[in-house]
Amino acid sequence: RIMPVRWSRYNPSYLEPEVKTELYQKPLEELTEEEREQMELKAVRPIKAAPPTLSSSVFSDPMISKFTNMMMKSGNKVLARSLMSQTLEAIKRKQLEKYHKAPENEKETIECNPYVIFHQALKNCQPIIGLSNITRGGKTYQVPVPLTDNRKRFLAMKWLITECRENKHRRTMMPEKLSQELLLAFNNEGPVIKKKHVLHKMAEANRAYAHFRWW
Amino acid sequence: QLDRGCALHTAARGGLSSVSSQDVPAQRPRAVFHTSESDPAKHTEQHEGRLYNIPLEEVKAVFPHGLPHRFQQQVQTFNEARVMVRRPALELLACLKGSNLAHPAVRYVIYGERGTGKTMTLCHVVHYCSRQGWLVLHIPDAHLWVKNCKELLHSSYKKDRLDQPLQASVWLKNFKSSNERFLKEIKTQKKYIWGKQESTEEGRPLGEVVEQGLARVRSASDALGVVLRELKQQSHRGSFRLLVAVDGVNALWGRTTLRKEDKSPVSPEELTLVHNLRKMVRNDWSGGAIVTTLSQTGSLFKPSSAYTPQELLGKEGFDALDPFVPIPVPNYSPKEFESCYGYYLERKWLQHEKAHTEDGKAELQFLSGSNPRQLDRLAGPL
Repeated sequence: RIMPVRWSRYNPSYLEPEVKTELYQKPLEELTEEEREQMELKAVRPIKAAPPTLSSSVFSDPMISKFTNMMMKSGNKVLARSLMSQTLEAIKRKQLEKYHKAPENEKETIECNPYVIFHQALKNCQPIIGLSNITRGGKTYQVPVPLTDNRKRFLAMKWLITECRENKHRRTMMPEKLSQELLLAFNNEGPVIKKKHVLHKMAEANRAYAHFRWW
Repeated sequence: QLDRGCALHTAARGGLSSVSSQDVPAQRPRAVFHTSESDPAKHTEQHEGRLYNIPLEEVKAVFPHGLPHRFQQQVQTFNEARVMVRRPALELLACLKGSNLAHPAVRYVIYGERGTGKTMTLCHVVHYCSRQGWLVLHIPDAHLWVKNCKELLHSSYKKDRLDQPLQASVWLKNFKSSNERFLKEIKTQKKYIWGKQESTEEGRPLGEVVEQGLARVRSASDALGVVLRELKQQSHRGSFRLLVAVDGVNALWGRTTLRKEDKSPVSPEELTLVHNLRKMVRNDWSGGAIVTTLSQTGSLFKPSSAYTPQELLGKEGFDALDPFVPIPVPNYSPKEFESCYGYYLERKWLQHEKAHTEDGKAELQFLSGSNPRQLDRLAGPL
């Protein structure tokens, strides 16, 4: 009989898999009391299957994996991942060329690390306040509402991807367009930042309906 | 004799090592994996695993069309061209230095698995020969001549052959830009008639034949054939030394993806370019050398695990190239890997903060399997 594993609920006795390699490389004496207990527990309890996105590589980044998953179409993770790596390489190349051409005093200001640029660009794109539709007396109002961290991150990534998919020339490749947008967002320019500002302005304009929110 | 392994580990200080005594002390201390010896003639085992610089003007002059695409991108990003000196290249250079030019041309076949550096070894040898003043006949990728051809003309010279004007004209343009001075010195030995009014007299410089091929694109393949034949006939005199460098030589004896108008497949013999190149690669001439590379990446109808000469050339190609000197190109040795990794760090190509740690380096080595191409692809996004 096949036991379904992925989306079924595990028995509560199953433990999460441990990915950090440092824990296994420590000799027995250096472990603290809780860690010793944890190791003994792992010897008797079963462990859940590790999902394919979980990686023990030092270079893995959860935000990048989430972004790659959002870019993926019809389950083609290979293509999405290669597009992501080409994007990061394109950003790095552009920044390095700028760095080598710049005079000495400006060299420190140019950021060449594609990961830093990616995280900063996403942070710049995240809206602070969002709008939600609330129906009162037959009419639907757009009510300003605080957003959770997850929702902010999701909105930033969604806007970036839709912007790159729609507003580009038929022949430009996705990595090239994405790297352009990420660099613009890093400098607080570009269409995605404009969209964020438009949302903020709408929320500011609808301040009067803020009391419709009950949570 | 200083142990090179320990010299590398003490190189964390980044100072000049005392191993290479001919390194001129630079303004800022270059790290151990560089060498300032930019003449390939002086490269010895001492320089193994180090990277040497080719000035950018020389790159444009010597390699108008030879370098791999990713290497060209790297040259543009870093603003310098650094090639690693590796053992197969050193062996080839030693063979070339000791070769007797009065004997028939020796054929060298560089083979190895995918992405181990065969094309870069070929470029190293081409650079050496052009520095020494040889006439270099560099065909960047013979596979481009047997696939994706938009225009196939019927040859006016021989009835069954097919011409490829576009590929021939592109190659002639690059050949002209890299070998200007030879084209003025070498004279034709026969009269060639290109059409009703056009002809090249005996004793005219070869540059005129190339001009003719570029001006009249229809006869570009015939012009290429004439150039090859003249060079072959005159190389034994000793006024110049000829190097025939072909990348992807297994294309000449495989199958093509081209079709004639009646949809019947074209075999390589029916193409003028391939026919003339096959005559060039035969060792019935003296006064030079033939260095070739096998390549599975662009090859047609060959499995991706094939890398030995027997598998890639097939029976026909192997018999045609036999006897040859095989030169295997392996993956990076630990020392070469360190040197490549150090170069990427120095040029700020590895930007990820974990890439600078020992763990990151071990992970890169494991994931790439010390394969140069995989290392390059992995280090791209990092």
